[in-house]
Amino acid sequence: MANEIDPRILAQSASRRRFIGGGAAAAAALVLGPSFLAACGKSDNTSGSASGPATPSDDGQPATGKLRISNWPLYMADGFVAAFQTATGLTVDYKEDFNDNEEWFAKNKEPLSRKQDIGADLVVPTQFLAARLNGLGWLNGISESRWTNKKNLRPDLLDAKADPGRKFSAPYMSGMVGLAYNRAATGRDITTIDDLWDPAYKGKVSLFTDMQDGLGMLLLSQGTSLDDLTIEGVQKAVDLVKEQKDKGQIRRFTGNDYADDLAAGNIVIAQAYSGDVVQLQKDNPDLRFVVPDSGGTTFVDTMVIPYTTQNQKAAEEWINFVYDRPNYAKLVAETQYVPVLSDMTDELNKIDPGLASNPLINPAKETLDKLKSWPALTDEQTQEFNKAYATVTGG
Amino acid sequence: MAGVASSNRQRSKLAPYLMILPALAYLGVFYVVPFVSLFRTSLSTMGGSVYMPKLTFAWNFSNYGDALSLYKDQILRSFGYALSATVLCILLAFPLAYVIAFKAGRYKNLLLGLVILPFFVTFLIRTLAWKTILADDGWVVGGLGAIGLLPPDGRLLSTSWAVIGGLTYNWIIFMILPLYVSLEKIDARLLEASRDLYGTNRRMFGKVILPLAMPGVLAGSMLVFIPSVGDFINADYLGSTQTKMIGNVIQRQFLVVKDYPAAAALSFVLMAMILVGVLLYTRALGTEDLV
Repeated sequence: MANEIDPRILAQSASRRRFIGGGAAAAAALVLGPSFLAACGKSDNTSGSASGPATPSDDGQPATGKLRISNWPLYMADGFVAAFQTATGLTVDYKEDFNDNEEWFAKNKEPLSRKQDIGADLVVPTQFLAARLNGLGWLNGISESRWTNKKNLRPDLLDAKADPGRKFSAPYMSGMVGLAYNRAATGRDITTIDDLWDPAYKGKVSLFTDMQDGLGMLLLSQGTSLDDLTIEGVQKAVDLVKEQKDKGQIRRFTGNDYADDLAAGNIVIAQAYSGDVVQLQKDNPDLRFVVPDSGGTTFVDTMVIPYTTQNQKAAEEWINFVYDRPNYAKLVAETQYVPVLSDMTDELNKIDPGLASNPLINPAKETLDKLKSWPALTDEQTQEFNKAYATVTGG
Repeated sequence: MAGVASSNRQRSKLAPYLMILPALAYLGVFYVVPFVSLFRTSLSTMGGSVYMPKLTFAWNFSNYGDALSLYKDQILRSFGYALSATVLCILLAFPLAYVIAFKAGRYKNLLLGLVILPFFVTFLIRTLAWKTILADDGWVVGGLGAIGLLPPDGRLLSTSWAVIGGLTYNWIIFMILPLYVSLEKIDARLLEASRDLYGTNRRMFGKVILPLAMPGVLAGSMLVFIPSVGDFINADYLGSTQTKMIGNVIQRQFLVVKDYPAAAALSFVLMAMILVGVLLYTRALGTEDLV
């Protein structure tokens, strides 16, 4: 029995947006909670600097010493860190302890607000969190002189609304949020959001707990544009989720752990991240990934340098190393997400001829047309929408 | 000479206080201070910026009203689940502890070891293992379906039963061990005496064994009930959207919504209800000492 259980648990504990972190983090918060709460009230000394982060002065010397990276689990290629160390002579302390944007923020905002070291010189939050951190004045800019491979970035990402010109956040991976389903279990192709509510799949559907990833495609299916969202529009989507939840249609609200339920047959249709599905398909060819007809959303995870960094130059060196196309191809081959660098086809084909033609790594134009990205929400909006969605997912 | 004696006496009077000082200091720093802080938070209002909110202490009792009215279902559910798990633990653990204490002979240590062994594995892994065992396509569901105990589209995972089962499984060791200690302490001569007095097995159990095991039942119940009420891992992994417990709500309030006063108020409601429950239970069982 143990032998049957182990691989799946290991796979789960290593998956990208795993939810276990929530448990541990919550336990920590419940234990440590009061003291960090007490401190919350006092330290409100950060002034939001919307004008953009400062880049520390650079002496032009090569980076030396140690670089501490905090990244999502299963978001790295074998040998990549070692190759970086060999190429630069730097030492890397690579940790996969970034599990959830909101929880990471809840845990690290106190030290950051006091400008205390958070044990990482480079972290990889999703775009919206990077923008929030920058708004709070907690990020350093990324020096262009050390980030010479910035030219390889996809033009659409360079001009992103959340960080025009990419001053403080360097995209790491991009991905699609869509629906994954088990074709053998559904017995038909899934194309729309309405398919989620088919009584035949009662208790076999899962949605994301994350507000943006969970509600995005539902908002689009209701004809609500993501670009000028109001709480009324969000509430309409939340009401839909509540109705289906009360009917027993929705089995679970998940983080990355939907992957196990999908593989085990507990869930037949799940909101899913594209890269996960490519990896899951290796074990189960019946799994399909689709962007619903009414549209899906994209996410971009970004490398940022907290203003508490102890090695700015090394962090920039790392970003530049990642932005080298041959290096980056190795990362994409492993994570199976959508590249943030342009013209990756050749490099990907060098590793595996199938990679570049995989529609989940290199989406077709009609898929891309259906994808919307979230605009930069104001702090108040994020809070309000999170709260509205949590009334359904949290209870 | 007299002076030395009196200072010795003084020192020996002080000694007990000195000895509990480290524990008191520990409790003060890690329990009382956070407790007071949490209490103040629960009565505060939030203002200022969204992500670095300013908490202002304001005797804001409406936090409690809101928490209770919004989440009464989850609170009641948590108590229902924890109570069910505690009763199940007593029913399962008592016979086991009895056998180990009285009947196991030279296998006593082996059996105790087997009881403790699963708990060498971390809590999360054990809970996740149940996900695999109870999976919809798994052999347990298939087997129960085949003999008609489960309707064709029935499931075990993501039900209240799975959550209660998970709570029972994860905390049962805290019932077995106190029960075993209580039973083990029972003087075998008392049992002989009750037989000599023509006590039947049933009367011996009711009049001798059970009353003497009561401290174990009480201690075990608390050790199972209290963590179960606040648990959120089992509901998260083994439950569904319909089985959220109050621990899940508090977790999300603290870490996602970041409504600290609401989360703190919920924590206090939970604590108060546990306290009242435990006091009533202790009184009902009429046990003065816990072990």
